[in-house]
Amino acid sequence: MYIGIDVGGTSTNAVLLDDGLVKASATVPSRDDIITSLMEALDRIMKGVPAELIERVVFSTTLITNLIAEKKYDPVGIILIPGPGLSHVHYQYNTDTLFISGAMDYRGREIMPLRDQEIANAISCLSTKGYKKVAVVGKFSSRNNKHEKEVASRIKSLHPDWHVEMGHQVAGQLNFPRRVVSTMLACATRDKYSFFVESVQAALNRRGVEGLVYILKADGGTMPLSKVTGVPIETIFSGPAASTLGVQALIPPGETAVVVDIGGTTTDLALILSGQPLLSSRGAPVYDQLTQVRALAVKSVAVGGDSIVERVGKEILVYSERLGAPFCLGGPMPTPTDALRVLGLTRLGNAKKALEAMDMLGQPLGMSHSEVAQRIINMVIDLVVQEIEAIFKQWEQEPAYRVWEVLQKRKERPNMVVGVGGAASGFITQIAAKIGANPVIPPYAQVANAIGAAVAVPTLQVNLRADTEQGYYTIEQEGYQGKIEKDPFTEEDALLLAGEWLKKRAEKYGLNQAVEKKEFTRRDVFTMVRNWITTGRIYDISVQTPRGIIGHIGARGGFSD
Amino acid sequence: MNKKTGLIFFPAFDWAISPTHPEREERLLYTRDQIFEEGVMDLPQIHEYAPRLASLHDVSRTHFCVPRVQSQVTEAHLIAAGSTLQLGDSVVSGEIKNGFAMVRPPGHHAMRVVHGNRGFCSINNEAILVEYLRRRHGIRKIAIVDSDAHHGDGTQDLFYHDPDVLFISFHQDGRTIFPGTGFTNELGGPGAYARTLNVPLPPGTADETFMYVVDNLVLPVVKDFQPEIIINSAGQDNHYTDPLGSMRFTARAYADFTKKLKPHLAVLEGGYAIETALPYINLAIILALADVDYSYVMEPDYWPGRFKESPEKTAQVHRMVEQLLESWANRDKVDIPKIFGVGKYYQRKKFIYYDTDYIEEEQIEKVRMCADCPGYIIIESRAERGYRAPVRIYAVSIPFQACHSCQSEAYDVYEQAKKQGECDYIYMQDKSTDTCITYEKDKGQEWVSEG
Repeated sequence: MYIGIDVGGTSTNAVLLDDGLVKASATVPSRDDIITSLMEALDRIMKGVPAELIERVVFSTTLITNLIAEKKYDPVGIILIPGPGLSHVHYQYNTDTLFISGAMDYRGREIMPLRDQEIANAISCLSTKGYKKVAVVGKFSSRNNKHEKEVASRIKSLHPDWHVEMGHQVAGQLNFPRRVVSTMLACATRDKYSFFVESVQAALNRRGVEGLVYILKADGGTMPLSKVTGVPIETIFSGPAASTLGVQALIPPGETAVVVDIGGTTTDLALILSGQPLLSSRGAPVYDQLTQVRALAVKSVAVGGDSIVERVGKEILVYSERLGAPFCLGGPMPTPTDALRVLGLTRLGNAKKALEAMDMLGQPLGMSHSEVAQRIINMVIDLVVQEIEAIFKQWEQEPAYRVWEVLQKRKERPNMVVGVGGAASGFITQIAAKIGANPVIPPYAQVANAIGAAVAVPTLQVNLRADTEQGYYTIEQEGYQGKIEKDPFTEEDALLLAGEWLKKRAEKYGLNQAVEKKEFTRRDVFTMVRNWITTGRIYDISVQTPRGIIGHIGARGGFSD
Repeated sequence: MNKKTGLIFFPAFDWAISPTHPEREERLLYTRDQIFEEGVMDLPQIHEYAPRLASLHDVSRTHFCVPRVQSQVTEAHLIAAGSTLQLGDSVVSGEIKNGFAMVRPPGHHAMRVVHGNRGFCSINNEAILVEYLRRRHGIRKIAIVDSDAHHGDGTQDLFYHDPDVLFISFHQDGRTIFPGTGFTNELGGPGAYARTLNVPLPPGTADETFMYVVDNLVLPVVKDFQPEIIINSAGQDNHYTDPLGSMRFTARAYADFTKKLKPHLAVLEGGYAIETALPYINLAIILALADVDYSYVMEPDYWPGRFKESPEKTAQVHRMVEQLLESWANRDKVDIPKIFGVGKYYQRKKFIYYDTDYIEEEQIEKVRMCADCPGYIIIESRAERGYRAPVRIYAVSIPFQACHSCQSEAYDVYEQAKKQGECDYIYMQDKSTDTCITYEKDKGQEWVSEG
């Protein structure tokens, strides 16, 4: 049996899956003490189920996201080695950021050395300001980590108690500004994440659950809980990933669908294209800054059931703020939820209060309550529909760097609009009608995120970049730099080496089974010619385990593919 | 103005002429690394677009591909040209203020007739864009400034008789580099005199002289011409590290030039110093277009004052600029019949060598001298390709500004050529109605494509 638990900011959802059937589900309020809410949820779904039968538990949590959103982390100082390129005014991260000399080029060759005195000055500056956490990031450090390592070891020798995070260990893909943000956040959240892991382990131990424990990442893949301390930020935004995977499991395979998760203050949109959730081409954004975290493409629209509605002159406006509960539930202001209540699209709250809310808005304009309600709902729907169109457009507009990528570009439109989340039922039909798709509210829509967690499978990738002229290769995910031993080193060798590293990573995480199937998603070969002579080759190889879910939730039991 | 700069980056990592050719997969690899690592695509000033394909008709509107478009282009060519069109659309619609098509393969050596690949080019991205902008968006006056180290002979050939296209090319002196053309006396045909300006620069020319040419010739002439759209053929082989060129321009100078010219569109052309020049120049050009500080962009082996120019060479360039300015100033006063002669047609003979494909082409180009329009063009071309039988074609091109009598006369000429049956392929390219016709003698068949 599988357990999926989504630890959200306001509530914690849990499900127990038995061979593709939802055996039990529960929603409990999230408390400050994670253990209490976890135990509560576990107890409710495990009633009468022996703990030994639990093979696997997967968590998804917005904990890290919330920590970051609320800035509840220790200050992190930044030391950057940006070298030439973009002006340094672009590197602003709301914390003390120090620049030191030194530069690598795109092939990892040192083009400017470090300067000892500058390193010393930077460290003492951070020390004076009381920092104990430092992120060190150099441009092109994923091609050569020498400078980052040197600076980190200087810090460690002077301040052994400081926590230092290096860019090449956090994210390997090229994009210096994003790597800076990722590294800073990794540095900031590590302790808290460890605390979360300990709490979870404690809760499970107390209930005697000994199955494997995983955590969901933003890309919809899982990782063993205890092994993720290396990359806690990969769990940010796993909330939307959980809902999307849940929907993937609840609808038939191969469908193209928009997932609309309407919450209190925001509506999250995601795409499932021919049965596969769409990955974002950019890393997950934190506020206005992009990170280098691989994530599902999720678009958040700042409107939800609790958004406040106001009349301004002759206009009715829906704002993105929330001021508490809807009017019909005792809140201070009219909301879309009140409108739904008036139109009979939900049974939530007090009908009289909802009518009153609509009259507050409509009376000065001479509009009936149902007219006002319909107008509010239309505004919300229009907003969501616009965003849906925009994400499809954006997906079509994804850049392509190879001929085959341009040629296989698809134009696809959704067959279904799938609603999950509290206010979904009231909106989905009309949203679907507007974009010419079928509305679907799957069973267990309320706990889709917990289902998503329960069915998620591990994902592992390895990007190998080998430069035979320089005689070394790097593994982006590991921050590893190694010598190429073989000569000549062919494309076949590069593929093999990438495969070996995938296996090595799998072993490291205890995921040996995951690599039985693997797929090469990129294999570029660049012949290097210098002075009319072929001097080497660059291989860019990406290999990964197939993305997917354990199976679809079947109506009659048993996972179906 | 807060509008963005559009970028299409199409490095064609799976396309090459051959694995070790200068125009190979690796060419934009380090540019990718540099601009991706800098996070340029994430800048709020930048909008990255997806590449798209140009249609075969977009190509036919510009070129006579022998025997047909499909036999001269790969998908990569259509994507490079199509990406340029995409940015053209976005500029015209006002979505972006300017754009940079960083695409492969390049195109500025591709002439009106295409028997094969010349100078790594098969079809001319900028010229296809010009014809497209006219057809699709009704734009008439366009300036093309070619900053490649090699003379933009293909672009020159395509617009030599077009008074509405100003073509300025500065480049390394043709006596010292491919394609061996681009001298100051090549000023355009009788109907477009001095709308073509060539600035052959001595090998070793550095930033200071480059800027002199830009400030004293390029900018004032472009301003005077008042184009609706400015296109930069952004070849980057004038860089001091380029293995094919012998010039000494820096990335900074390219950016300064971009900032001054303010092209609506820059289209990547040559540049084969793929490690030492391209990453830096491309980055600098992007930043210059987006109005972002590019003063931190610098080649690792450059220091200010590294290159000194000889005063004699500088003086020589100054004199050339004087002379070209005079040609420009007198463009409408010169005695055209005295230069080009009188008669129904102005005619010239051309010999064109296709260095990539080893084709030798002989061409007779005739332009109808017309008082009301630029006149239609007739081309008789014979191409020899080693052991194969030579191919003969006859092509008629009607400009988009053509008068009625030129248009109907051109169709008569085309029909007559079909009857005579001397050529293997006979083409009609009517830009005034956007109709392209190909007649194949052996099959006695005609194909028509319309926009």
